[in-house]
This record gives sequence, C-alpha cells and structure tokens, in this order.
Amino acid sequence: MGPQTDLNLFKEKAAAVQVVISEITDVTAAFDYAADLTTKQGGKSMAAFGWDGQDRADLEKACSQAGVNLVMDNLREHAANLHTALTLADWGIAATGTLVLDSGSEDLRLATMLAEIHIAVLPLSRLRPDSEALEADLVRLMASPPSYVAFITGASRTADIERVLTIGVHGPQELHVLILKDQES
Amino acid sequence: MIDTAQNLKEYKKRLKKALDNKFLRSAMGTFASAYKEAQGRIFQGVDVEGLRREIAKGKDEALPHLEELYQAFKAKAEAAGVKVHLAATAREANEIIAAIARDNQVKKIVKSKSMTAEETFLNDHLEKDGYEVVETDLGEWIIQLRHEGPSHMVMPAIHLSRQEVADLFSKVTGEPQEPDIGNLVKVARKELRKAFLTADMGISGANFAIAATGSLGIISNEGNARLTTTLPRVHVALVGVDKLVPDLHSALRILKILPPRATGQIITSYVSWITGANECRTATGGQKEMHVVFLDNGRLAISRDPIFSQALRCVRCGSCANVCPIYSLVGGHNYGHVYIGAIGLILTYFYHGRKNDRAIVQNCLNCQACKAICPAGIDLPHLIKETYCQVLQGEEKLPLKNKLLRRVLKDRKLFHFILRRASLAQKPLARGDGFIRHLPFFFGKEHDFRSLPVIARTPFRDLWPKLYQKVDNPRYRVALFGGCLVDFVYPEQGIALLKALKDQGVQVEYPMEQTCCGLPAKMMAEKDVAKEVALQNLAALDPADYDYILTLCASCGSHIKEAYPKLLAGTPAAVKADQLVSKLIDFSSFLTQVLKVTPKRFRGGKKKVAYHSPCHLCRGMGVVQEPRDLLAIAGLEYLPARDEDTCCGMGGTFSMDFPELSAELLKKKLDAVEETGADLLVTDCPGCVLQLKGGMDKRKSPVKVKHIAEVVAEAQEAAQD
Repeated sequence: MGPQTDLNLFKEKAAAVQVVISEITDVTAAFDYAADLTTKQGGKSMAAFGWDGQDRADLEKACSQAGVNLVMDNLREHAANLHTALTLADWGIAATGTLVLDSGSEDLRLATMLAEIHIAVLPLSRLRPDSEALEADLVRLMASPPSYVAFITGASRTADIERVLTIGVHGPQELHVLILKDQES
Repeated sequence: MIDTAQNLKEYKKRLKKALDNKFLRSAMGTFASAYKEAQGRIFQGVDVEGLRREIAKGKDEALPHLEELYQAFKAKAEAAGVKVHLAATAREANEIIAAIARDNQVKKIVKSKSMTAEETFLNDHLEKDGYEVVETDLGEWIIQLRHEGPSHMVMPAIHLSRQEVADLFSKVTGEPQEPDIGNLVKVARKELRKAFLTADMGISGANFAIAATGSLGIISNEGNARLTTTLPRVHVALVGVDKLVPDLHSALRILKILPPRATGQIITSYVSWITGANECRTATGGQKEMHVVFLDNGRLAISRDPIFSQALRCVRCGSCANVCPIYSLVGGHNYGHVYIGAIGLILTYFYHGRKNDRAIVQNCLNCQACKAICPAGIDLPHLIKETYCQVLQGEEKLPLKNKLLRRVLKDRKLFHFILRRASLAQKPLARGDGFIRHLPFFFGKEHDFRSLPVIARTPFRDLWPKLYQKVDNPRYRVALFGGCLVDFVYPEQGIALLKALKDQGVQVEYPMEQTCCGLPAKMMAEKDVAKEVALQNLAALDPADYDYILTLCASCGSHIKEAYPKLLAGTPAAVKADQLVSKLIDFSSFLTQVLKVTPKRFRGGKKKVAYHSPCHLCRGMGVVQEPRDLLAIAGLEYLPARDEDTCCGMGGTFSMDFPELSAELLKKKLDAVEETGADLLVTDCPGCVLQLKGGMDKRKSPVKVKHIAEVVAEAQEAAQD
C-alpha cells in the first residue's frame, strides 16, 4: 500500500457514505471553499479549529470577504445558528473512509455536532491504511487523559424508520473532506 | 411495560397475530435479503473466519479475568477524574444512577442508546423518582413515546411503519406530520435538540470499556451519543461488566465486524473514545462530572460457567436476529424479552427469569444460521438448548413428549417396535403414493400444511439381508448410518445409495444395532437421553472397522459431528466419538471427493433441478459446493433459487411444536423453488424431503422432490440403459 492506493481507497470508502471529496494543494483553498459554501447555502457563521498565525489571518480574511461570521469560542451560545464547522483532521483511515479528530476541546466537539455542515481538511501525510496503523498514536492519546477521540465517517445518519437511510439526524447533514496534498502521492 | 408470553398457549396466540401483520412481514423480509447481500459485499476478500476466531479467543481469554480488568479500568479512570461503580444487581445500578442525579441536582436527563439500561429498566426507575428522561436515539425515542420495548438490539423500532411514526409524531408535536421519512427525521432532530440543550445529565451505554487506559468506546450512527456525552454537565455510562476488554487492540478488532454484522455498514458514522473527565464549560471547575457504572447482574457468575460463559462473548450486534428465519416472520417483540434474537432466548433466562423465557426458548429451529453469522462464534443453538434444559428443571410438570421420549428412545427395540406398529396402524389411512390420506384425529388442523408420509411397510433394516452385497477386495469399507427417516420412512433413499455405489469397489455395511442419532432428544433438551443413544450408536458402530461412516441424513450427520463430542466429553467414549466424527461423510462429498465420479457414469436426461441446501448440511456439516458439483456431474441442469440455504421449516420436532411458523417457512421455500421453473427439487436430508415433499403434495405442485441419492441413482440408470 502506497499513499496513492491509500488515497484511492479513502476516496472510494468516503464517497460510499456520501462524503463530498476535493483535493487542494494549499490550505487557503480550504478557507475559501468553506467561506463560499457557507454563503452559498445561506449560512451566516462558521467555527474553525486547528489554525493560528498566518493561517488564522488568511481564514479570517476569507470569512470577512464572504460575509461569514467566524465564531471564536463559547459554542454553546451559537448552537442554534452555527452553519459550518471547519476542522483539521488529525488522521484519516483509508480502509473505512474515516476521519480521526482529537476532540478534547469541548467547542470542537460541539461544532462538529451542532453545525449544519462539517468541512474537514485532511493532510495526505496523515492518511493511514487502517486502524491498526493508528493504534499506537491512539493509545498515546488515551494514555494522557482527559481525551475524547472521535472517528467520523460520513454525515450523521439513521435507518431507524423502515430501515430507510436518512442523513442528518442529530449531527451535520453534510460532510466535506478536503484532501491537502502536502506530500507526493 | 414489556409483556412476554409466559406459557406456550399464549405465546402461540401472539405468534399467530404477528404472522397476520403484513407490514412487519414485508419489512422483515426486505431487510433479511438486503442484509445477506451486504455481508458478502463488505467482507469480500476478508478472512472473516480468522477474525471471528480471534474475537472469540480474545473474549475467552478476557472473561476469566473480568474482575481484574474491572480493577485495572477503575484505577486508570479514577486517576483521570471518573468515578467508577460496580452494581451487583439491576436495581442497584438504577439506584446508583438515581443517587448521582440527586447529588448533582439534576432535573432533565437525555439518554443515548443502551441495551444495558433497557435490561435494568432504568427509565422506569428514574421517572418514578421524578426525573424527566428523554431517549435521543431516534428508534429508542419512538419506542419510549409508545411505551414499548425494543424489537431489535440495533434497530429498536424496526417493527413500525412510517405511518405509525407519523401518527405518533403528530401527537407529540401537536401538529399533523406527513409520513415522509425525511420529514419525520427532521421533527426528531428539532425536538431532541431542545432536550439536549436543556439536559443536566447524559446517560450512555458503551460498546467497549478498555481496561488499559480506562477508556470507553461508543458506537453511534446518529451522533446522539456524542451530544449526550458532551452537552450535559454530568455523564453516566452504564456498562455491562462483560464489555471490559484489555486494550484498544481488542476493541478495534471487534469494531471491524460489529457494524457490518449489525447494519451492513463497514463502520458507523461515529465512534467516540472517551478517557477521563473531559472539558465541560457548564460543569463546576469546567470539567465533566463523569461516572461509569458497571453492571454485574449475574455476568461474573456466567463468566465462570463452563457452558454459558461464551454467551458473554456477545457484542450486541443483533446479527443472530438478522438472519433468523423465525425472527424475520414474527419480529423481535415475539422473539425475546428485552434482549431479542437467539442471544435473547439465552440471556432472558439469566437476566429476566425463567418465566419470561419458558415459552420463547422453545422457538428455535436449530437451523444454525445464527451460529454461522455470530461475529464472536457463539454456539447459539447449543446454548439455547442448554438454556431450555435449565428452564425444564424448574418446571413442575414435564411436557408429555419429553416423558415419552425418556421412556422410549433409550430402548431401541421398544422404539423400533412402536414404529413398526405405527406402520400397521396407519394402513387404512395410507394413500398408495406414500402419503397419509388425512391426519389422525389427534393432530390439529394447523398441522395440515403438508402431507405426511406413511411409515414404510418394510423398514430398510429388514430389507438389508437381501440388499447386502459382498464386494471382493473393496477400495473402501463403509458403514451406512441410516437414521430413523431413511430406515423407517424412506428406505428407497438407502436403496438408491446402494445403486449409486454399485461397481465402485465400496463394501457397504449396515450395523443393525444402530439407533436414532439422538437429535430429537437434543431438541427437547433431554441431554441424558441424547448421551445414552450416542453411546449405543458408538457401541453398534465402531469407527475402527470402517474407512468412512456414510450418512444420507444431514441432520443425523450434523448432530453426530456437533453434539457427540460435547455429550461424551470427559468419558472414555470421547475418543471413539472423535474418530466417528473424523470418518463421517455425506453422500455428495463421498461421491465427488472420495470416489471422484465423472460424467461418464451418468446421463442426467437434462432435467431441470432446483436445490435446497439443508441447514444441517451447509452449516452443520460445512458441505456447500459438493452437492451442486454432483448435480452437474450427473448431467442435471441446476437452476439456482432464492435463499437456498434458508431453513425449509422442518427443524425436526419444531414443525410439530410450531406448525404455523413451519408452514410459513415452507411456503417461502416452495415459492422460491417454483419461481425457478424446475421440474425437480433435490435436497440431501430426509427430514427436508419430508417437509418439502409434503408441502409440494399439499399445493398439488408438479415439482417432484427427491433425495440427491435417488436422483443420482436414476441418472446413472439412464446411462446404463
């Protein structure tokens, strides 16, 4: 398994659970993508996690240009009107099309649950073939509590009524994954 | 709230009602087919058997150390700010949780799905104490609003139609709701969001409790478990002590198979791994008040039981229900108490008592579909019979059939004498074509779904001296294990076998002292009788004398293979039992694998045949391809049918105990066969022949039913003309 096979597998498995996948070469592309999509869907606010310094400045710029309010903290107060959660995934698991997010921050957890849509940036260098390949990293996180690690695969779903698959029960109704090509595949 | 039939009469009444529920039937049927298809797709190229073995091994290694795992978990979790409790009983667990609520001035509680909380009836307890409890899993919320128990471990509201849910939601919201599933889900999202944001306490279950780090692993699709464990300031997880695993590795291994087996997904939308008391702004000190309550309720004792400990391997995927032909007919409310499906028939006895189990535990075909699918490799049909054994020990009156069986089956001469007498007695009822004209008076009309065969005038054993042929310098010495049906009902199948083996250098013997294999005794949970006849058969038939023990009856074969080693374990006969099992072979495997017959020998006449794969052959004896190969070699055109390996509804004594269910399963099977356009239905178990032939006769179908030995013998005769 090389990065290209992993990437193809990830895309195949994620697409099977209605994930919208794009590839980007620069993180600013993710900021524009998120800001534009939010506006396009009539959303007004976005919460973002994982960027500081120049990246954060770029993100703020993208949001202000699109007229999107960037929520900084206290997500509980924004629960009712948060449209977009933009996150930086810690890892991806190719075999199942899964994102892994270290979700110790309460705000991150809330944003990725309460937002209408979730957009995650997954650096290609963080893609692993399967959960075994990630075991040591996960154990390390769990061994320094408190920790809350989330596997996220596709949007929130249910089949509880007549076993008909329906997207977006409690969590986001859409999941977008932007694969950041930070290494050769 | 949950009201399970406590006697067979009441239970049968409810089963009949369930059979009349058209929505339930079609919903279950559609699901069963889609589920089967998904299993094949997901596990393509995966060593599922290896994974199952590893999971079983991991669980078996952990179970004797549950108490140590608990201590290890507690130490790690408490160091991370979590309070850990062990409740000996269901009531104690509920009281601990109520006390946590009281100590934290809780008013409103949200819950994410927990079978363990269903087990303890936690909601009832908390509501009685004045707390407002809202289930947040869509299915659980629906059944909570309807005051029902779950009808499936993973899909609790699968018994309801969108119309029923729309009616319910109209009542709840006070506004008319369209029966559109997307709309109904939105209603739930809106209503439950309010509950989440105002709750003081969240109660969850857990799929894994990882001892090494004191972590919980929670699987969910809707995401409600994430909100339940994040929004309220208090989080309590109620976890069966059997959910303890040593490390993350064990949990990830189970995660690979649990979602596929549960719902046919490779993984659920969310898996949360929670270690320690996490950040929570609304809690004092900004840190969540977190508790883990482990429930024993008998589990620690079960973990020490030599027979039942493997029931604790269960990962609660519900697959034993998903593949159960009976569940697919009657739904979960008629196939369990709190826990449903095959595992429910077992756990009900331990967690909810004998009275709730005494009727439902009898409703098993022993078709082994559950055993074949279980991700933890639990021998569910065996444990169901062991549970029934326990149930019977508490009964004041033994069922009449058990009394008769105890008296008759151990005494071969008496048993065979009765069969011969029955042959004489039914003479006036015989129709001439092998069927009884009408059922004797003591059968109710519910038994009239199939024609019953007459008992043969001359049993195979009496024909044997004339049939016996000595073979000089044989290639193989083979003993035929006839089984009661070949011996006393279908001797023609035995005769066909001899024709098929003719001139192939096979010396066939028929040891006269052989008797019933003992499967009926196992079905009736009469272990002592089953053991006694197993010993008699081993005395009659010394495996050392033969190269192979050949059987035409998959049920006998499967019973010998599965049950003899268990029944005779620890006795000197265990060695012989093992040797018997090693030499046991079915007709198709013997012809294709041992004799390696070729098409030259046959002229099938190009008949179109459908095939029914007997449960006890394909799952019991693990023979899948050989009969299909043999049909091709014999020159027959094989037309695959739907659900070939689904039970025909015979199940030995099952078809007498639950004739309505048997009839329904038979109908499905015969419909599938008739759809193929075949002239002939072939199978390789005389029990299935009895059921299928009787059913085809009853519906006056032109499709003939034959044992594969008969078909092969005929194809060969055609070639010799």
